[in-house]
Amino acid sequence: MNSILKVNNLNIAFGINEVIHNISYHLNKNEILGIVGESGSGKSVSSLAILGLLPKKISKITNGSILYNGDDLTQLNSKAFQKIRGLKIAMIFQEPMSSLNPSMACGDQVEEILLQHSNLSKKQVKEETLTLFEKVKLPQPERVFNAYPHEISGGQKQRVMIAMAIACKPDILIADEPTTALDVTVQKDIITLLKDLQAQTKMSIIFITHDLALISEIAHRVLVMYKGEIVEQGEVETIFKNPEHNYTKALINSRPTLKTRLKILPTIQDFLNDSISDEIITPAERQKHHKKLYSKPPLLEVINVEKEYLTKSGWFTKPQHFKAVNNVSFKLYEGETLGLVGESGCGKSTLGNAILQLDKATTGSILYKGTDITKLSKKETRVLRKEIQIIFQDPYSSLNPRIPVGEAILEPMKVHNLFNSDVERKAQVIEILNKVGLSEDYYNRYPHEFSGGQRQRIGIARTIALQPKLIVCDESVSALDISVQAQVLNLLNTLKIDFGFTYIFISHDLAVVKYMSDQLLVMNQGKIEELGDADIIYSDPEKEYTKKLIHAIPKGL
Amino acid sequence: MSQKTNSLKQLALQKFKKNFWGVLSFYFIALVGLISIFAYVFAPDNSQYANQMHLAIHSKQPGFKVQMLTIPSKITMNQSLIDRVFFGRKNTNTEVPISEYTITEDELVYKEFASDGLQGAEKELKLNIFPNNSPKEYIEHKTFLFGTDKYGRDLLSRVLVGARISFFIGFVAVLISLIIGVTLGSIAGYFGGKIDALIMWIINVTWSIPTLLLVIAITLALGKGFWQVFIAVGLTMWVEVARVVRGQIISTKEMQYVTAARALGYNDFRIITKHILPNIMAPVIVISAANFAAAILIESGLSFLGIGAQPPMASWGAMIKDHYNYIILGKPYLAVIPGLCIMSLVMAFMLIGNALRDAFDVKS
Repeated sequence: MNSILKVNNLNIAFGINEVIHNISYHLNKNEILGIVGESGSGKSVSSLAILGLLPKKISKITNGSILYNGDDLTQLNSKAFQKIRGLKIAMIFQEPMSSLNPSMACGDQVEEILLQHSNLSKKQVKEETLTLFEKVKLPQPERVFNAYPHEISGGQKQRVMIAMAIACKPDILIADEPTTALDVTVQKDIITLLKDLQAQTKMSIIFITHDLALISEIAHRVLVMYKGEIVEQGEVETIFKNPEHNYTKALINSRPTLKTRLKILPTIQDFLNDSISDEIITPAERQKHHKKLYSKPPLLEVINVEKEYLTKSGWFTKPQHFKAVNNVSFKLYEGETLGLVGESGCGKSTLGNAILQLDKATTGSILYKGTDITKLSKKETRVLRKEIQIIFQDPYSSLNPRIPVGEAILEPMKVHNLFNSDVERKAQVIEILNKVGLSEDYYNRYPHEFSGGQRQRIGIARTIALQPKLIVCDESVSALDISVQAQVLNLLNTLKIDFGFTYIFISHDLAVVKYMSDQLLVMNQGKIEELGDADIIYSDPEKEYTKKLIHAIPKGL
Repeated sequence: MSQKTNSLKQLALQKFKKNFWGVLSFYFIALVGLISIFAYVFAPDNSQYANQMHLAIHSKQPGFKVQMLTIPSKITMNQSLIDRVFFGRKNTNTEVPISEYTITEDELVYKEFASDGLQGAEKELKLNIFPNNSPKEYIEHKTFLFGTDKYGRDLLSRVLVGARISFFIGFVAVLISLIIGVTLGSIAGYFGGKIDALIMWIINVTWSIPTLLLVIAITLALGKGFWQVFIAVGLTMWVEVARVVRGQIISTKEMQYVTAARALGYNDFRIITKHILPNIMAPVIVISAANFAAAILIESGLSFLGIGAQPPMASWGAMIKDHYNYIILGKPYLAVIPGLCIMSLVMAFMLIGNALRDAFDVKS
C-alpha cells in the first residue's frame, strides 16, 4: 500500500456536458506524477477536483471517488476541505503575476498561511518564512520578505508561490503549468528547484503541463490525457520510448526536434491516417537554397535602429531612459525566414513593431526596397501596409468579435482597392479560405464559433489577403497546442512556397524558431547577441547567453 | 453545412428574451411609447393639452360621474385629421356640467352642477344654437376615471398626454447625449495625449456643476419651454456617456484586433466606427437606459420647480406641482397618480438596463 491518492472512475460534468470521462489513476508516495495533455483535455479540471476547487454552481462530480489516505475527498464539505487545502494538499498555479495578492508584501502572504495552519508564535513564523525563502533559493530573502509582488521578477514570484505551497509541509503538491508563463532559463531553474525539494521532503507532486519534453525531465510516471480520458499511463521511459496510443505518438513527434529538419511536421491526423512523411531537408539542399537567396539585394535593411522609452517615476525626478531596442542592424533577403529569438522583455516584439511602423523607432533607419520607411507620411505608411503584414500571437483577441470572418478577410482588400468589385473579392476570399484549409461555409460565421487553431488560420488568411511581401509572425504559434502548432507551421511553410513570402519569425521557443528559420537572430536586453545561420548558431553558439538559452531547452528523452 | 450564424448580438438577444423582468419592462415601455404617440386618440378629453376645464367639478375623486352639456361653438376650426390625432383638437366648444335639464318648445333649461350641497344656478339656452334643434345629442353622462384636477380637467387625459413629454424628453436627451458623448469620448480615448487632456478637462468642469443648476442655467439662457428642457437635459447627460466611451475605448484600443486593423492600413475613422464602437455598445446601451430614466426624473423635477414644460402643457412633474398641497387635504390621488406613472416608467427603464447588462455580459 504505497499510494497516497487514488482516483477511481471519476466523471465530471459542466451542466449536461461531461468533460471528464471515467478516469482512474493513483499517486504514490515520494513520486512526481506528470499529467500531460492539450488545452481542453481536462488535465486542470481533474486536479481542481482533488482540492474541491471546481466552480460549484456549474460543475458536478457525477460519479467516482478520490481517496486521500482512505478519505473520499468528493464527499467532504467545505469546512473539512479547509483543513486539507494548504496543509495536506497544496497547489501552485500557472500565473504567478495574478496568484499573489498585489497589496500584500510577499513575506506577509507566506506568514499568513503559517499562522492559519500552525501554532507557531509570530517570531517563529517569521524565522520559518525566511528559511522557506532560503529553501526555494530566493536571492536576498530579507529583501523579498518586505517586497511587494510587483517589485520582484516572474521567476521570483513563482518561487514565493512555491514557498507558500510547501510552507505546511504538504503530502501532495499540485503544480498546474507552473512554468508556462516563464522564460526557458527561469523554467529550468524552477524545475530543478522542484526536483530538489521533492527529494528533500519526500512529498508527492502532480505536475501538469502541455509540454512533453519538460515532463520527461521531471516526472517519474506520466499520464497522457486527451478529450477527458486517460489514453495512456506508465513510466516515463516506456511512454517516451515506446508510445502505444496514436495520440501520444503524435504529441511526441509533432514538435519540431532540434536534430533534424523535417519537410512537413506530422500532425495527429497524419498519425491516425498513418500518412507520416519523414522527408527531411538535408544540409546540402539548404545550402543550395541559401546561395540562391543571398545573391539578390536585400528586401529589408535595418540600420542602427533604436527604440527608447521614457519612464517617469515622480514629478521632480529626471525621466529615465530605457532602451528597448539598442542599435540593431541586420539585412533580410527576399524569400528567407529570419528567426528572432530571445526571452521576454528582450525587445523582439518592439523591433517587430518598429519594422511594421506600428511604433516608430527613435533613431536609425529601416530601408524597404531601398526607401527609408521611417520617414514616410501617414498616408504613404498606409499604402506600405499592403506590403508588410503581421500575424498575431493571440488568435482569440486578434479578430473583431462582431465581424463575420469572411467580411474580416474582405475588408482589407476593399480598403486597399484590390480587385474591382465585391463579387470578385468574395471569390478571392473563398479561395484564400480554402488555401488555409477552411471551407467556404465558414464565410458568415463569427470568430467565437471557431477553435484556437482555426482562428489562427483566419488571422493568417486576413494577412495574406493583401498579398504582402514581408510578414512578421509575432509569437504566432505560441498560444497554440502542440498538434495545432504543427499544422500552422506547415501551413506557413506551404504559403511561403506558394506566394513567395518573406518571414520574420519572432518567438521565445528556440526549437520552433530553429525549425522555421534560415537566419537566426538572438536578442538580449535590446541588443543583438548573435546573428547567423540558424543551424550554425545552434550547433556552435559563440556567446555565453546563447549557450545558456540552448542549454535550457527541455530536450526530452 | 448549416448556414446559421450566431453573432454576439443574437446571443445577447436570446439571453435578454429569457429575462422576465426585462421583457416585461420592454413591453411596458413599448406600451407607454405607443400611448405617448397616440395620446389624443386614447384620451377621453382630446382637446389640445387635454385642457378642457370645468371649474365646477374641480378635484373630484376617481370614477366621478356627471352629466355634461356641450355648447357648440359658432367658430368652426379647419383642422386636418393628422393634426388632430397628434396634437389634439383645438376645441372651442364650451362644456358645462349640469345636474338636471328640461327641454321646452324653444329653450333648454338646465341647472348648473354644484358640489358640496350647493344649488346651481338655473340657466336657459335657445334651441337654435344646436344643429337640428335637438340638444339631446349634446348632453351625455361623462365618467372621469382618474377624477379631475384642480381646474376640473380630466386627470386621465392629462396623464396620457403628459406621458408624451416624459417619453420624448428621455428620447431626445439620450439622443443628444449619445451624439456628443460618443463623439467626444471616442476622440479622447482613441487619440489620447493632449486632446484627451482637453476633453477630460471639459468633462470634469461640466461634471462638477450640479446637474439641476446647469439645467436651470441652460434653460435661462435658451428661454423657458418644452424644447429648451429637452436640449438642456441632453447637454448635461453627455458627460456620463463620454466618460464611459472613453474608458471603454482606452481598453479596447489595446486589443489585438485593433492593432491588426492598424497594421492592415485602415484609417482612424474606419477603425473607430467599424472596429471599436460596435464592441463597446453594450455599456453604452446600458448607460443610455439609465440616462433615459434620469432624464425623466430631471424633467419632472424641473417641471415641479416650474422651469420645465409650461402650462397649459401637461407634464407629470407639473401635475404633481399643481396638486402636492392636496395630499394632506384628503385628495392625494391628484399627486399620487402622476407620481406612480413617473415611478413605473423610471423603474421599467432601470430594469431593462439591468436586463441588458446581464444579456451583454458574454462571460457567464
